[in-house]
Amino acid sequence: MVEFIVNWIAFTPVFAVPLMLASIGLIINERAGVMNLCAEGIMLVGAFAGVVVYIESGNILALGTLGAIAAGLVVSALFAFMVVTMRLNQVVAGIAIVFFASGLTGLIGNPWTERAVEGFTKVDMGVLSTIPVLGKIVFSQDLMVYASVPIVYFVWRFLHRSIPGMKLRAVGENPQAADAAGVSIEFMRFGAVVTGGALVGLAGGYLALAASKIWVEDMTHGRGWIAVALVIFARWRPGRAVLGALLFGGIEALIPRIQAVGLAVPQYLLLMMPYLVTLAVLTYVGLVSRTGSGAPGALGLPYVREDRR
Amino acid sequence: MPSRTLAVGRVSLEVRQGIELWLHGLIVLASIVVGLGVSVLLLVVSGIDVSNIFEEFIVFTFFDSAGLADVLLEWAPLILVGLSAAVAFRVQFWNIGIEGQFVWGAIGTTVVMIYDIGPGWIQIYLMFLGGIIGGMAWIAVPAFLRLRLQVNEIISTLLLNYIAALFVLNQLFGAWQDPAAVYYKTAQFADYQRLPLIGWGQIHVGLFIALAAALIVWLVTERSRFGAYMKFVGSNPGMALASGIPVTLTILVAVMLSGSLSGLGGYLVASGQEYALTIYVAIGYGFSGIVIAFLARNNPAAVVVVSFLMAGLYVGGESIQVFYGLPEALIGLIQSIIVICAVGSEFFVRYRVRWMR
Amino acid sequence: MAHALQMTDIVKSFDGRMALDRAEFCADWGEVHGLLGENGAGKTSLMNVLCGLYRPDAGRMSIDGVEHRIEGPSHARALGIGMVHQHFKLVQPFTIAENVMLANPQKSWRKGVATVSEGIARLSDELGFEIDPAARIDRISVAEQQRVEIVKVLMGGARLLILDEPTSVLTDEEAARLLRTIQALARRGACVILITHKLREVLAHADRVTVMRSGRTVATVAARGTSAADLARMMVGDAPVDDTEPGQSGPVRLEISDLTARRDDGVSTVRGLSLTVRSGQIYGLAGVGGNGQTELAEVLMGVRAPETGHIGLDGSDITALHPKRRRALGIRNVPADRSAYGLAQELSVGDNYASTRLGSGSFGTLAWVSRRTIGAQTSAALKDFEIQGAAVDTSVRLLSGGNAQKLVLARELHGEPAVIVAHSPTHGLDVRACAAVHDHLRAARDFGAAVLLISEDLDEVLNLSDVVGVINRGAIVGELGRPADRHRVGELMLGHA
Repeated sequence: MVEFIVNWIAFTPVFAVPLMLASIGLIINERAGVMNLCAEGIMLVGAFAGVVVYIESGNILALGTLGAIAAGLVVSALFAFMVVTMRLNQVVAGIAIVFFASGLTGLIGNPWTERAVEGFTKVDMGVLSTIPVLGKIVFSQDLMVYASVPIVYFVWRFLHRSIPGMKLRAVGENPQAADAAGVSIEFMRFGAVVTGGALVGLAGGYLALAASKIWVEDMTHGRGWIAVALVIFARWRPGRAVLGALLFGGIEALIPRIQAVGLAVPQYLLLMMPYLVTLAVLTYVGLVSRTGSGAPGALGLPYVREDRR
Repeated sequence: MPSRTLAVGRVSLEVRQGIELWLHGLIVLASIVVGLGVSVLLLVVSGIDVSNIFEEFIVFTFFDSAGLADVLLEWAPLILVGLSAAVAFRVQFWNIGIEGQFVWGAIGTTVVMIYDIGPGWIQIYLMFLGGIIGGMAWIAVPAFLRLRLQVNEIISTLLLNYIAALFVLNQLFGAWQDPAAVYYKTAQFADYQRLPLIGWGQIHVGLFIALAAALIVWLVTERSRFGAYMKFVGSNPGMALASGIPVTLTILVAVMLSGSLSGLGGYLVASGQEYALTIYVAIGYGFSGIVIAFLARNNPAAVVVVSFLMAGLYVGGESIQVFYGLPEALIGLIQSIIVICAVGSEFFVRYRVRWMR
Repeated sequence: MAHALQMTDIVKSFDGRMALDRAEFCADWGEVHGLLGENGAGKTSLMNVLCGLYRPDAGRMSIDGVEHRIEGPSHARALGIGMVHQHFKLVQPFTIAENVMLANPQKSWRKGVATVSEGIARLSDELGFEIDPAARIDRISVAEQQRVEIVKVLMGGARLLILDEPTSVLTDEEAARLLRTIQALARRGACVILITHKLREVLAHADRVTVMRSGRTVATVAARGTSAADLARMMVGDAPVDDTEPGQSGPVRLEISDLTARRDDGVSTVRGLSLTVRSGQIYGLAGVGGNGQTELAEVLMGVRAPETGHIGLDGSDITALHPKRRRALGIRNVPADRSAYGLAQELSVGDNYASTRLGSGSFGTLAWVSRRTIGAQTSAALKDFEIQGAAVDTSVRLLSGGNAQKLVLARELHGEPAVIVAHSPTHGLDVRACAAVHDHLRAARDFGAAVLLISEDLDEVLNLSDVVGVINRGAIVGELGRPADRHRVGELMLGHA
């Protein structure tokens, strides 16, 4: 039993990190007032680009990771151009991009499909990794798990303890006030969408290179949407997003553990758990948030300056 | 203070006060042409000959008896999902879960076969009801969550797609599995459980059901009192409430109608095409519905026309896929490119772009 | 010493309507200068020109004796002009320090917070109030928010401070404190312009007063030695009341008792309001905007639930009824905000005309809507109400303001309304459209309707009403019969009782 729990906890970060990075990216994005529904698509393209660059570069992990980030940048720049610059409907644009990403990666992805990759490997910290329980849980993760800690800290610090971060939040809360204070709404929003998109792309790349270690069509399986829901659960705060990601990572990590132990739970019902829990969490948020959801005040609203002259 | 300028710097935007109908139409048409052009380009880059594209998508689909029969067969469920999306979008309810409701329509249909409910002759009608009930049940959850707890329906309907698909897998790899089949599906429907063919290709009476549904939805949205309510709720909820229109009830009924139309689509495919519940029963129909409704501007009559063209895209796309070994995602890709271009046209409808020197 | 500010012959028009018609304004350093006028007199427009939000069509401005053409808000700020808008430009979930920092760029976060907090502490100490830089805007009172706005503007180096209706959201005590602060600022050499319509404030706290009416400057006088009555006369003018027939009032139809209601942000704006309107009577509710009129109208429409109190119609309680039931009983609304409650902009004239009576089966059967009937009835209504240039299929978005309002009236006055709640029914309309709207309201009254006319336009209220009630701070502070004494009403409106 102890072994089961240790294994489970040790496997949680690998599943939690993609959700964590994606929801952190979405928080940057939505804090600037842009409703990003294309996370699923950006993750997918990130996963695809990560694997392709990794394989084509001769298994250079750093390049694969950069490829995922670059892919996230490109797709989110397309989205930003549509919703920030052209001020198009954020819902329709977001959903269209999800299917665009799914179709594009499906169309050109054949040569790289179902080729197992080594990707991220556990870091061996020598003596530390052999400490009972802690060694396995804390000192035997891969690099990205360790890297995600400073990333989350940096994003939190940026949003809540820096001038540009404050301007970004002001743009999402009250663009009129930010505009009056001389902040460029378009610049901030474009930057937020692209930066957040890079993180979401990285999340996808990590998913493919660390969690599944393979590229398969539509492999994100709704994790982008779960990240969107996580942001709501997190009330748009990075700290709570980490908690939520760990919760969902724990659930996802539980599935292969249960299967490994050979418990007689129908596997497809088991696979439903993340989605069911997401629904439950959203319901919970709906039940308790009588005092407001914590959403940025101008989330989803394109900004056009009221020109009175 | 600069006037509203674009990030590009050399371009200035002016909000249009109104737009002439012909210009509006021209812009939308041009955007779709651009979308089709990009799609063709993509196919050419994928190694397909331009003349083949023309043949597969035009000649062998619309000007060939067998091809046209396939188009008409595919048309029926596409009409239903297009209507489903249009009805929900009309009251500003973003139903992205059409695929899940479609699956549950198929499940509702199959349940009648699996548990052999009622005497044989009535089962095809019970299946019809089962499809409607399945679709409605699956949308009832997000409808309740949205209207009662303000839970975002985009996410909830989407999550339910995954849950529905996994439920089907669970049943097909378990209780409902047909041991005799080569791939995972239920047992075949008996003859009396199938929608009758009309004698041209595989076309079955489902086409008439879909067309009748379109007529009914058109009557409801364009001619009935309820449809008028929907218009006001979708256009200005505050004004609708002040005018004495029951806003919540209107949304609820419209959303239920949307779910039942999707479910009916599942019934058509299960009982008219696959004659079984399979893993692939709903693949692609969810997004198609959204695309059709979007391009048809939520108008039921336009849905019928757009879904016919979309059926052509399906049939042509499928044969291209088979011949060139391209993945199924192809159709979704073309659809999304067209939608992205059509959304983009909004920009030119709303603003007048001026180049400055 | 040069004048702090001199504005000469300022002209500004919107879509052909003159907002400022050769307005003049002159203020000096070290004074509190009241800018007085009714709603729409041009006070705010004039100040928006000053702080760079509007570009004037003509006119000259000089600051401290130097002529400037103000290019925009940042230019105005650089010239030391700071404006505290009536609707605060604060980011709600941010702290006070963050809001001040947003408007006054700092280099780094940590130093910025320290600098700003220090500045806030220093300024608030000087001005005699306490604000906690770490407090969040949505957790502090409106009065405190206003102090944040003042501090924000002063930290930006403003020496010419404009406050737009600063006391309208404050309690008496808070208002008194604010006014003392303003005086302290002026004593230290700043020039403070106080836009208001409260006579008492101006007389007690301003050094000089400029009165505006209809886009023009009426006069600038010293506050000392001027009486409230004089100022009121300058503000409201002496337009004669037209002598149309008064209504034949019957039994009480609409009865509102002890009504209280809150605005969306939780502020209680209707506070124990009671009034009765009789059949065949126009009850004019005069008052300065923001005293609870909007919430009262919404409560009567049925789209906002009251906190306490009752609404009665012909003796039966309708407080909790759905708008649909209210309409069935004959309650009709002409809302002030047409785009929110009046019309669906994207739908056609015919649809909008039919919207309220769809439920009664007036157009076709209960299940079906007959477009032909809608078309015929709408065409008839367009003719009756002289709505020119619009067809049944025209999108409402394309109608002029006057035609859109006449369309609302055509719909709401159909049949035999028992009660009509008309809120600012002629706001933004031209003279002809105004007259038409007034005629329609009088006609409805003569048919026996009880008309509650809520308006910030005093001329309109005085001309139309059989009884004038004055609303102030969410309650009726006085009722006058016809003909109501203009100056008495003005004094009640302005809280000078």
